[in-house]
Amino acid sequence: MMRFGIAAKLALLLLGFGFLSMGLVGTVAYTNSRTTVLESAQRELLTATQVLGRQFQTNMEIVSSDALMLSRLPSAPRVAQARLTQDHSADEAALVAAFEALMVVRPAYFQVRLISAAQHGLELVRVDRDGANLITVAAADMQEKSHNAYVFNTLALGAGQVYLSDISLNHEQGAHDGLDKPTLRVATPVTAADGSVLALVVINLDLNGLFERLKADLPNAYQVYLSNHWGDYLIHPNPAEAFGFDAGRRIFIQDAFKPVADLIKGTGGSAVTSVPPITQRSPGLVAAFVRLPYGAQRDEQRFVVLGLSQPMAQVVKQIEHLGWRTLQVMLAGGVGALLLAVLLARLVTQPLKRMTEAMQGFAEDQTVSLLNDNRQDEIGVLAASLNAMQNTLVSNLQELNASRDAIEQLAQHDPLTGLPNRALFQDRLVQAMTQAERDHGALALMFVDLDGFKPVNDLYGHQVGDELLNVVAQRLQDCVRRMDTVGRIGGDEFVVLLPLVSSVNDAVVVAEKICQSLHEAVNIEGHHVMISASVGVALYPDHAHDMKTLIHFADTAMYLAKKAGGSQMKVAVVANPDRAV
Amino acid sequence: MKRSVILLVFTLLCAVSAHAVETLRVLAWPGYVDADWVAKFEQLFAARVEVTLVGSDEVLWQKISANQGADFDVVAANTVEVSRYIDHKLVQPLNLARLPNVQQQLPRFKNAQNISGIHRLGEVFAVPYTYAEMGLIYDRKQFATPPDSIRVMWDPAWRGKVLAFDDSSHNFSLASLALGGEPFHIAPVRMPAVVQQLIALRRNVLTFYSLPEESVALFKQHQVALLFANYGQQQFKALREAGLDVGYAIPREGALAWLDCWAIAAGARQPALAHAWINFMISADISRELTRRQGLDNTLDASANSLESDKLWWLEPVEDDTRRSALWTRILSGDRPEQFK
Repeated sequence: MMRFGIAAKLALLLLGFGFLSMGLVGTVAYTNSRTTVLESAQRELLTATQVLGRQFQTNMEIVSSDALMLSRLPSAPRVAQARLTQDHSADEAALVAAFEALMVVRPAYFQVRLISAAQHGLELVRVDRDGANLITVAAADMQEKSHNAYVFNTLALGAGQVYLSDISLNHEQGAHDGLDKPTLRVATPVTAADGSVLALVVINLDLNGLFERLKADLPNAYQVYLSNHWGDYLIHPNPAEAFGFDAGRRIFIQDAFKPVADLIKGTGGSAVTSVPPITQRSPGLVAAFVRLPYGAQRDEQRFVVLGLSQPMAQVVKQIEHLGWRTLQVMLAGGVGALLLAVLLARLVTQPLKRMTEAMQGFAEDQTVSLLNDNRQDEIGVLAASLNAMQNTLVSNLQELNASRDAIEQLAQHDPLTGLPNRALFQDRLVQAMTQAERDHGALALMFVDLDGFKPVNDLYGHQVGDELLNVVAQRLQDCVRRMDTVGRIGGDEFVVLLPLVSSVNDAVVVAEKICQSLHEAVNIEGHHVMISASVGVALYPDHAHDMKTLIHFADTAMYLAKKAGGSQMKVAVVANPDRAV
Repeated sequence: MKRSVILLVFTLLCAVSAHAVETLRVLAWPGYVDADWVAKFEQLFAARVEVTLVGSDEVLWQKISANQGADFDVVAANTVEVSRYIDHKLVQPLNLARLPNVQQQLPRFKNAQNISGIHRLGEVFAVPYTYAEMGLIYDRKQFATPPDSIRVMWDPAWRGKVLAFDDSSHNFSLASLALGGEPFHIAPVRMPAVVQQLIALRRNVLTFYSLPEESVALFKQHQVALLFANYGQQQFKALREAGLDVGYAIPREGALAWLDCWAIAAGARQPALAHAWINFMISADISRELTRRQGLDNTLDASANSLESDKLWWLEPVEDDTRRSALWTRILSGDRPEQFK
């Protein structure tokens, strides 16, 4: 449990650290890339806007050269002058044919006109587009245009110069297709041989038609914006926002796209911006704008602002894709970190696990399992310490066991002879009696008391007495079987237990053998010592059923033997052992 | 649950207490009612004032005509609009006894009978508050003496040097004035002459402008000598700021002028408080603050731009707006005199 705990905690820690650093790196990478994606989208859009702007300017140049071409037709000055002089119908027809031919190949031209410099700007030749038809307007329907900016500004120009009007809705009645439509007038003077301005050629350009065609090359999601030099929208994705000034309402591009204000002020040539989504109806967008110089060179104040926008959703899609990729990389990294964390945790906890196992084994059965302490690190030191500890513990245990054995020996044996003492002997007697009772067998108990031991002690001293007792102990043990027990329970009192006898005779044989053995002289330190023994024998179950009574009978029999002169044996006599109790 | 009950009770108490103090609902243009004036009025009359601002005559019309004028107590509108409100019974006659400050107004404002748009059948429906006239702006270098007649716009001497304004109603009024007529009610029999007059104007002008900044640009680029100032003093200021040496004149035929007045809505809940408001707004203090803060002329002091003797034609609904507009579109498109016959 604890093992798992450390490994798990360590793995978690490592994993947490791994994820944290990966999260940080991922977030930074995502944020940076997001900015990059946004910037590249804006760059792309700006490039597209610049390309569109160049196309627009190229188209202006084409319209300008068309106007110049018409103004140089020989019939143009002739028609302008003819009104005052002679018949002009042939020249007029030639001009109409030229105007119509041009309008056939230029679908964005609403109207091509020749307007007189005199007669309050009276139209001299006028071809209008009306659906699929080209209409040559009758003389009776011609109008005076001198009060229009495209007329008085063009009349102020010299030959070969071109005027581009401001873009406005054409409210000139009778303009056919061009009526109330966003219109750009491109005009150039028609001059006489002497250079005097006689008239002007005006081409009305369909602004929306032109941009429809230019936009065809762009991705569908791109939206076009165009404003005049005040910032009034001329083209807006929502047509209601364009030409607000025409209805007395000013709607400025710089209000919706703040950076465009610099373009309007003339302090910048291009601007990119992104508008965050405000509502669901106006989702965010990325937009780019360029300031396009517009019109004749002498008039440097004039320009239009052209812009393209792209829904933010498209850019966001790229960013989301990027985010997903980042997440994938992070997930893969996360799995790697997980594996690494588990591996590392195992590497650290494996030796700990082995140590724990060793310690557990040691605790259970003191088996010493030496740990690998070859390592030079902290784990190696720990293993060496544990090894040392195990060894110390084992040697201590061995010492402890030895002392315990010694103490046990002391407690149960006679210190002089090494024979079982009274306590141990009694213990064995109880066991033997229990065994005999279970086996329905018999056992014999003998009390052996040395005759004349006291005088030996007195005469030769205690040392000799003690030596004598040792000899007696040895001789007694020689007289019995291995299974039998000899004990010393007093100064010269010994006891013998024969746990397995078949009859009283077995005991008598042993008792007589003891008497005989002890009657032989003993040589101790040059002294010839003569002793003898009185032996009392009692049998279980013959004489008694319990230990106390058995001891009493054996002791009594021994006493009778001593009384009878010693050096002999007596068997306890009892008629009925039960009554004796 | 409990909290929402407390909230409800609180809201109800607020509503009740709000009703305990009388609330005046004011409908006005930006710049006409400043917050400190409202605070002063609220203090003076222990009332609450709710101001709603509008930016165009169309929105003003929508607001006042909804619920038959029951959504507001007082409204500020020009004479054309007030006249229209009277026609639609959206405003109520005023009790002049409750408007003592009218007596302090200049004579041309004091007598409502002089201002055709604001009285009907002997009853007065509005009190003038502020005004602006559409004079002539001229280049002082080109004009030795200030132009004194509107006819100067037709003077061939200034051909291609005149800037007129692209507005059907005003141009018909001007043409009518130039012909010695009344501006707002052109009888059908006079109309062809007025149209010819406008064609003549078209042939004499450089162009017809729409935006104030457009007029400034044109004035500078084309050495314009004379300009019809549809935007009045504002435009005069803009031209001077553009570095042009210009003067401002009111022609002897008179100048068209708009005049904004205070009127009481037909469905006003607080007519007494509404009278108090109007009297307060034309007081000397507020009138002079209006001039100081907004540069708008007030009805108590003579204007710096016009003499009291100058004729000002307070705008009125014209005889047929739609007809004027249709004709104007043709004139502006360049139709020749013979095309109108």
